[in-house]
Amino acid sequence: MPQSITINVNGQDHAIDADPDSMLLYALRDNLGLHGPKFGCGLAQCGACTVIIDGAATRSCVMPLSSVGASKVTTLEGLGTTEHPHPVQQAFIDEQAVQCGYCINGMIMVAKAFLDTNPHPTRDQIIGALNDNLCRCGTHMRIVRAVQRAAQAMQEGAQG
Amino acid sequence: MNTRPEDLHRPDSAGPDRRSFLKGAAGLVVAFAFVRPAAAAAAQPASAAASFASPDAGKLYAWLAINPDNTATLFTGKVEVGTGLETALAQIAAEELELPIDQLDVVMGTTSLTVDQGPTYGSMSVRYAGPQIRHAAAAARKALLDLGADHFKLPAQQLLAKNGKISEIGNPSQSITYGELVGGKRLDIDIGATGTGFDMNVAPSAPVKDPSTYTVVGQSVRRKDIPGKVTGQLTYIHDVKVDGMLHGRVVRPFGIGAQLVSVDETGLKDIPGFVQVVRRGNFLGVVAETQWAAIQAADKLGSNLDPQGPTAGQAKWSDWQGLPPQEEIWDTLRKTVGGNTSVAAQGSVDMALPFAAKTLQATYETPFQMHGSIGPSCAIADVKKDGATFWVGTQMPHETRGDMATLLGLAVDQIEFNWYEASGAYGRNGLDHVIADAAVMSQAVGRPVRVQWMRWDEHGWEPKGPAIVQDLTGALDKDGNVTAWRHHMWVPTTSDTRLIAVEEVGGFPTIGSIGLGGPAITYAYSFANADVSVHGEGRVGMMTSWLRSPAQFETTYAMEAFLDELAAAANQDPLSFRLRYLTDQRAIDVLRAAADAYGWESRPSPAKPQQGNLAKGRGVAWVNRDDARVATIADITVDRDTGEIRVKRVVVAHDCGLVINPDGIKNQIEGNIVQSLSRTLHEEVTFDRAHVTSRDWQGYPILRFEEIPDEIEIVLVNNTPQYPSYGAGEPSTCPTAAVISNAVFDAVGVRLRRTPFRPERVKAAISGAS
Repeated sequence: MPQSITINVNGQDHAIDADPDSMLLYALRDNLGLHGPKFGCGLAQCGACTVIIDGAATRSCVMPLSSVGASKVTTLEGLGTTEHPHPVQQAFIDEQAVQCGYCINGMIMVAKAFLDTNPHPTRDQIIGALNDNLCRCGTHMRIVRAVQRAAQAMQEGAQG
Repeated sequence: MNTRPEDLHRPDSAGPDRRSFLKGAAGLVVAFAFVRPAAAAAAQPASAAASFASPDAGKLYAWLAINPDNTATLFTGKVEVGTGLETALAQIAAEELELPIDQLDVVMGTTSLTVDQGPTYGSMSVRYAGPQIRHAAAAARKALLDLGADHFKLPAQQLLAKNGKISEIGNPSQSITYGELVGGKRLDIDIGATGTGFDMNVAPSAPVKDPSTYTVVGQSVRRKDIPGKVTGQLTYIHDVKVDGMLHGRVVRPFGIGAQLVSVDETGLKDIPGFVQVVRRGNFLGVVAETQWAAIQAADKLGSNLDPQGPTAGQAKWSDWQGLPPQEEIWDTLRKTVGGNTSVAAQGSVDMALPFAAKTLQATYETPFQMHGSIGPSCAIADVKKDGATFWVGTQMPHETRGDMATLLGLAVDQIEFNWYEASGAYGRNGLDHVIADAAVMSQAVGRPVRVQWMRWDEHGWEPKGPAIVQDLTGALDKDGNVTAWRHHMWVPTTSDTRLIAVEEVGGFPTIGSIGLGGPAITYAYSFANADVSVHGEGRVGMMTSWLRSPAQFETTYAMEAFLDELAAAANQDPLSFRLRYLTDQRAIDVLRAAADAYGWESRPSPAKPQQGNLAKGRGVAWVNRDDARVATIADITVDRDTGEIRVKRVVVAHDCGLVINPDGIKNQIEGNIVQSLSRTLHEEVTFDRAHVTSRDWQGYPILRFEEIPDEIEIVLVNNTPQYPSYGAGEPSTCPTAAVISNAVFDAVGVRLRRTPFRPERVKAAISGAS
């Protein structure tokens, strides 16, 4: 049965009315009106719904609201905006690493979580990190280049 | 594009003639001060008087608006499907309009705001809609110069349109912006338009620019849609919310053609937020206040990943087992009655064959494949007695609006389609079908209903690209010349335009048609005796419709792999062998350009025997698809122990004539290559006698990052104004399966004649050959 549940999303607590057995993705999209995380499969197979929970890339389509607890959830909107994009978002713009863009939320969120713990990755490591995310347009070559570019930019940012 | 199209209709507080909308991605507020009578009427709730008529293509305002802040808006019936079309069309318009492209917004697809320029498919949008928009924008430039002439009391010939301003030549102090000049008025100017859709001829007398003066066309302008897509600020169809909206889910039959016997609603009312079951004929759906409730209710009725039988859920279906056995699908194709089309009939193959020194025969088999959009089909319908409003992501909003008029018994002008971008569709997937689902459900509950398919609905019910079988015969004389070529294809329809919900409900006037498969091949070799023909068929097994390069991905595979078989039998270099029989200069150009970029050395296949498990090979193939020419060469390795194919280097030479946006084209080519590699290596729809059994990404795997090529090099050929712009959305998909098959033969001397080339199949072929 629906009940009031508080979740922390993009740095703010939100009280929402929802079934604790329902998945986090629906709360983010329908209760909070966020559009970054997408419904792709509902089966944790494609990665379109990826959010970052306490630093780890997580598939929100299979995460029950009841298990979110006090964790900090970050969505694509929590990284940056078109006016002030995060370096990973900027790298995707610079490489024009998007076609339809439906999978791109997952690619960026996985890349962000990965780069936070692997600031100097090889191309193969990036490919390994992205391997469980599906893209149907075939934007893979550019996505890999974008993550390489983001790694470089974040490294320079850290040094600067 | 992040404009909410319905906001364009909504009068703001300044009165019914003024509309404004937020341009979210750029953070700009663009005020609209032009009047569009149809749209003004649309601001009212649907009523008998409402008219959502599309604008008159012969009026300038149908295509362009100049706004007071010196921005402009381009209106096009074409839609963005992830290919960068929005930006390419904006470049064409900005070029002629002499306006910085950042000051040009694009409104796409919404039926009351745009002209029907035909569906967005078949690599035909820049090719056909491009010139329409070019001429409309050139007419606008002329209109602005005329307004400037009145303003400055000077002949228009003494004025210059540049950078969004009209100024006197040689006297830049005499200058006024377009926005000031137009003063918020609608561009109510007759420009003339004849014909419809792709063939529409717009503003024929407009003074279009000399292509040698282009400064925006031909540049790698950054795509307008990408910033909004990487930040979550772009509104996809899945993101749209409408006041009072309910959530619907479909419950499809267990068997594709099964009849609905009974529905047991026990327990549904216990689901918080459940509203009602929608049952009409064999159509079954559920409607609820939340997505979660709708999913749970649909699950009870039998909609889930792994349904256990026609009576396993609370909805009971008849036991339908009408699909042919999967392993017999190609035999089934040969037995199906259809119609023959001859593509080439040169000399007499039958007379030539007895004189051949060597005759080869081969059969190529390709399976059903799916579009496999990452985002499932989604639409919202708000159906009322005297009108209906839809929110859609289809590639053909104007056409499907007509289908909804038939379904709902309304006039076309009583229906509005607000268009939003969807997940890439790559052809006719479920995006039109879900519109009909939403219509049926909204009509039943009397409220707006948003329907989103579940993953198993998408995999199970999107129309597929058809299975195809092809028989080839070739003859060589003693000198290795081709003396006869026969290529017979059995191709089911790639244009079934019926709608699932309409078929399930039954009793409607006919909507859509099945058609027969057509000659999806461009035969360009000059063999003395040739017989190329297509046996076109209707529906064979499941619903099939167009999937990227419909059937030509498959026919190019067979043609170009079998040609390789002949080259190998003649012990000749496969590239030179092709060039010997080609007279099409643009085909020759792309093959030579690809060979040069690759560094092709002439030798026959297979390569010399190689040591170790990993054998290297190279393959080449080309296509003429929709008048574009593409040649692809790839290096691969084959692991003899596992059968695994790895693609190392891909070189593509691509001639689609004048390129609007080089980086956009490269993005498309890379995408075509990776997607077609996926189709070549992995993809096969599985089914039993009742339904599709590959209902998720485990059952229907696609290519992953770890399998991408090391590099894809692209050479643009004949990119000059001497040629018109052809399409790039599909052509580079076509050669890939042949390239990989030819490369595997080059590596290990084994010919793969059935896709996909999954490791176990490759391994079996290698063991069988040794």
